[in-house]
Amino acid sequence: MTSAAASLAMLERRQQVLANNLANVNTAGFKRELVFAQLVGDAVSSTNTRVDLTEGTLSESSNPLDLAIEGEGFFVVNTANGERHVRGGSFRIDPEGRIVDHSGNPLMGEAGDVTIPPKGIGSITIDGTGLLSADGRQLGRLRVERIAAGASPQHEGGVRFLPDVSREAVPPSERRIKQGFIEESNVNPMDAMTSMLQVLHRFGAAQKTISTLDAVRGIAVNDLGKSV
Amino acid sequence: MDPALRAAATGMMAQQTRTQVIANNLANVNTPGFKRSRAQFEDLLYQTVQGTQVLGTSDAFTNPAIQVGRGTRLAAVQRMHMQGAIDQTGRNLDVAIEGDGFFQVQMNNGDVAYTRDGSFGISDQGLLVTSSGQGLMPPIRIPDDVSEITISATGIVSVRRGNDVEPSEVGRIELARFVNPSGMLALGQNLYAPTAASGIPSIGFPSEEGMGRLQQGSLEASNVEIVQEMVEMITAMRAYEINSKAIKTSDEMGQIANNLTR
Repeated sequence: MTSAAASLAMLERRQQVLANNLANVNTAGFKRELVFAQLVGDAVSSTNTRVDLTEGTLSESSNPLDLAIEGEGFFVVNTANGERHVRGGSFRIDPEGRIVDHSGNPLMGEAGDVTIPPKGIGSITIDGTGLLSADGRQLGRLRVERIAAGASPQHEGGVRFLPDVSREAVPPSERRIKQGFIEESNVNPMDAMTSMLQVLHRFGAAQKTISTLDAVRGIAVNDLGKSV
Repeated sequence: MDPALRAAATGMMAQQTRTQVIANNLANVNTPGFKRSRAQFEDLLYQTVQGTQVLGTSDAFTNPAIQVGRGTRLAAVQRMHMQGAIDQTGRNLDVAIEGDGFFQVQMNNGDVAYTRDGSFGISDQGLLVTSSGQGLMPPIRIPDDVSEITISATGIVSVRRGNDVEPSEVGRIELARFVNPSGMLALGQNLYAPTAASGIPSIGFPSEEGMGRLQQGSLEASNVEIVQEMVEMITAMRAYEINSKAIKTSDEMGQIANNLTR
């Protein structure tokens, strides 16, 4: 009966994660979480979550400050709590001319913040290697980092990730940065939907197991040894 | 089950906001100088159920942290200041800006506002005004015996009066540009006000220092593309639907759990 109860708890967790994935089906740069059940002894007891870093579809937006990375890698933003990884997204320019994300965290270049001179807003170009130029003048190269293949970064919210310890800079020749593109969420609604149905049915089955076991015990306690 | 319900509910609310933004874009598909907006979302804080575990020795594997997310939220509604198509109208007081910059107009309360809508008219005092009556800054007065008005690519307004052969200059249109035009506040009537996010305007003449070129007899059409908005609307609708399904599933799971005790 404990193992059935553990399985109920696991399915509940899975449903929470699926609901979060679905809520973020249109969040640019979002990476879905996967839930794994782990067999401890003979009961499904612990669940592991892992970030699925599969690339989302790149959609063209033609906004010069929409950045995406084709293949592996992360941009680095400087938050109040330290550096964070982002897969890209829609950046904007703050009053000081820095390139910042939604929450105002500056995007990091190889020489610190990247600042756009006020006159240069008309033509910002960022090439495939992250070299940023405005009105034909080179302003610096953006930092791009990658993490080890098996590593799973931690979500922080705001589509930022805590950098994994295995982080390292990606050499410019191996970068494929796309300007004017947005990486869509990698949540597949169809897939999430079927997982959700699966969760529902398994939840029902686990509950039935518990009620059946309960009925069996009920018979054992109440009916056994009853005078005939 | 509650967190799952709430996460799905944030998803539904997000899609609702997105639909409002799309509806406003579509409503302004024929508004000259209109710039489309885009709703952008980000995920909420994560609950770390269990931190990263290092199992045994260095060659053993490391378990990533167990995290459960709490849904999504609206991060920004960003206006996309991309150039709209230039529509030829043939009317000599229609002026489109090809490139960067805004016309400066004076509102009724005396503040300066900025617009890309160049469908000007002439007020009863002979001044150049926008279609909703705000005067262009600096003011340009058109004499009443004018037979022809010309506005050059660099903003020089010249007129031919009466039987004159030579045109004479009556003023020059100035444009203003911002470091971050998406940060401006939309006031309605195609007008925008500067904010701390947009920065202070730098003012100059058209076709100079990166300012756009003026084109007389044309209007800048809205940069809303119907097909794009329709596709967005369909995806918003489906995402709304699937989040409602997540709520339903969570609810059914709660019902099943309630049936544990007979």
